[in-house]
Amino acid sequence: MIDHDIIVIGGGLAGLRAALEADKKGVDVAIISKVHPIRSHSGAAQGGINASLGLDDSWGSHALDTVKGSDYLADQDTVEILCREAPERVIEMENWGTNFSRTEDGNIAQRPFGGAGFPRTCYAGDRTGHNLLHTLYEQVLRSGIKVYSEWLVTKLIVDKEKCVGFLAMNTIDSKLESFRAKATILATGGYGRIYQRSTNAIINRGSGIGLAYTAGVPLQDMEFVQFHPTTLLGTNILITEGARGEGGYLYNKNHERFMINYAANAMELAPRDIVARAIQTEIDEGRAFPGGYVQLDITHLGNDTINERLPGIRQISIDFAGVDPVKEPIPVQPGQHYSMGGVSSNKDGETPVSGLYAVGECACISVHGANRLGGNSLLDTVVFGKRAGAAASDYIVSQEAISDDILSKAIADENEMIEALMGESGENFAEIREELQAVMQNNVGVFRTREKLDLAFERIKELKKRADNIKVMSKTNVFNFELLNALELKAMLELAQVITLGALVREESRGAHFRTDFTERNDEEWLKHTLAYYTEEGPRLAYKDVTITQFQPKRREY
Amino acid sequence: MSEFELMIRRQDREQIWIDRFTVEERPGMTVLEALFHVQEKIDGSLCFRYSCRGAVCGSCAMLINKVPRLACRTQVSEVKDETTDEPKDGVASIKPSEIIEGRNGILVEPLPNLSVIRDLIVDMDHFYELVDSIKPWINSDAKEKATLMEPSMQIQLEKYTNCILCATCHGACPAAARNGEYLGPAALAKAWRFHLDPRSKEKDRKELAEFINSDSGVWGCDVVYKCVAVCPKKVTPTQGILKLRGKME
Repeated sequence: MIDHDIIVIGGGLAGLRAALEADKKGVDVAIISKVHPIRSHSGAAQGGINASLGLDDSWGSHALDTVKGSDYLADQDTVEILCREAPERVIEMENWGTNFSRTEDGNIAQRPFGGAGFPRTCYAGDRTGHNLLHTLYEQVLRSGIKVYSEWLVTKLIVDKEKCVGFLAMNTIDSKLESFRAKATILATGGYGRIYQRSTNAIINRGSGIGLAYTAGVPLQDMEFVQFHPTTLLGTNILITEGARGEGGYLYNKNHERFMINYAANAMELAPRDIVARAIQTEIDEGRAFPGGYVQLDITHLGNDTINERLPGIRQISIDFAGVDPVKEPIPVQPGQHYSMGGVSSNKDGETPVSGLYAVGECACISVHGANRLGGNSLLDTVVFGKRAGAAASDYIVSQEAISDDILSKAIADENEMIEALMGESGENFAEIREELQAVMQNNVGVFRTREKLDLAFERIKELKKRADNIKVMSKTNVFNFELLNALELKAMLELAQVITLGALVREESRGAHFRTDFTERNDEEWLKHTLAYYTEEGPRLAYKDVTITQFQPKRREY
Repeated sequence: MSEFELMIRRQDREQIWIDRFTVEERPGMTVLEALFHVQEKIDGSLCFRYSCRGAVCGSCAMLINKVPRLACRTQVSEVKDETTDEPKDGVASIKPSEIIEGRNGILVEPLPNLSVIRDLIVDMDHFYELVDSIKPWINSDAKEKATLMEPSMQIQLEKYTNCILCATCHGACPAAARNGEYLGPAALAKAWRFHLDPRSKEKDRKELAEFINSDSGVWGCDVVYKCVAVCPKKVTPTQGILKLRGKME
């Protein structure tokens, strides 16, 4: 058994920031992650991090943009915290060494982003996530925090409504170990890979969200899935919103800047849900290029601007699509990008289970509501990561030592479950996963209808049944990826079911959730958060109110 | 669609062998995708590291046709007809040459200069320890204001902060091959980045200079630019090392 006061699951931005805060408070904290922290998906974030640093900008204006962007589903008290604390967190990252791009007078440079009334997105070229992640990891090294790299957490242990630790498999020898912690912080990121087309890293399978869900913690607003408008044709690697922020245009096959028909004022810089629907409509109505894509043209920005501000996406386009954006437009299409929903948690990352916290993309706090603005997710990680680290440090002071019994029993059960998974013949994880990805892509995408959602729900149920018969044939104990994949697939199926059911029941269109059979937002019936509880028979849904402080819901126009 | 042969150097404890797989080539297919095809459809026991599949996370560095590269960034179409009878650019070879005789396909091996754990997974801890030994961080606690920095300084730093710690440079480095103590190109590139950074404290800069002023540090480099040649992010460790040498007293 391994013991720490606080253990953070996940080594991306939210997890590292939480651990740093706990360490600063003198607490014995450790990080556990299925990959080395610098391989986390936070590093793939490109465009930037929002903070109202400008003299004529304000946190209030940032908050209004965020709430409007969220289609009024965000909780306004937590949005206030996000926007108020943004400048301090960004300056802190700069002080710790993040190599932000600069203005001529040496300040942190800021660029315009979708749905924002002010250029408030701070950036490090188009590698902002990479720069922030390495900086935070450097600070974690400096602090000497213990990191368990390449361990997969398989189960949270909840005893009498309290999280007392978890079980994890060391991938180097496939042995299960129990971890005892007075507080556990989930910072495990999103689930993008339940879709066929996703910008997410291959590791983003949502198994962390699944841990909380099966342990009885409700998931919130899972039907709100962000589809990024511009992902590279073929691999669906992200092409940052910064490309449009710097002045890029979107064209259909008739060389029309079609955004004029969807958001006449904001044009390409409308929020992501609107631009993604516009592109999908162009594709569906036959105005896109064969193969289902439109063009993102930045050639007019010129060689220097592209090399200075968008060097990463230039390289990505060359490497992965054989297109040099200096010379020709980039072929793009919408793809799954981000989860607005997640483990229900509050302004300090606290979930309904004591001792369990959730922050970053795996959590729903809810600052993004029905649609997240670009530049707000990196911000979310550092603001709420810090707060959860602090809150957990305070919480553990009053907590007594946890007895070993429950953890020892849990490990015996889990070993049995894994033993039963090994075998010579049965279902193959990869086939079921591929089918799941196709089901979600084709039926629970940018445009949704009852018919397709019904179909998806039934198909997922079937896949869950088949998944009960998965057998792992590889016998190796050293990095047994077949076993790891099989374990993670269970969460993917659970989350897919929650997303689909939430979308089926929510008969309205709000933010990223668009029903072609209910095209309007319906505040009277649906201005509320979805909560999904795990049961053996499938998700049980409940609802809770949205916190509204200063911004009354209005029609969203851009 | 055409097929190609994927040859993978496998290892399990003392046992080392080459497996050959015939893989159908799809347009735009990367070596990483070919490895997934094998792992998911043919042999589930094959292991290799991965994460982003977009050349930003640095997980999938390996030796492809004798050159250290990121599997996710390497197109099958670019390497399947490469002739590798001679190690390209003289990069250290770790297998006897008979396995690539008369071949037409892609040879994938683990990254050199780090011990193999199994198949294509190497012990990265050694690499991380070398990097961490230079204390790669800014010793500063948050202030109220951001530091002012010339845009030109930001650009100089960026050439080095672009490093993703994938260790392709380490796999290509002849000095690292000879001397396991040598800090290596990634750590020294990072040393230059922190030397350069105006936010570093003078005391830390001095301590760092003393630490790297040795035969396992800046003086251990052969100045043959192999690290520069293989870096997927266009980082230039050798140039950093030469500049650091110029700063040594």
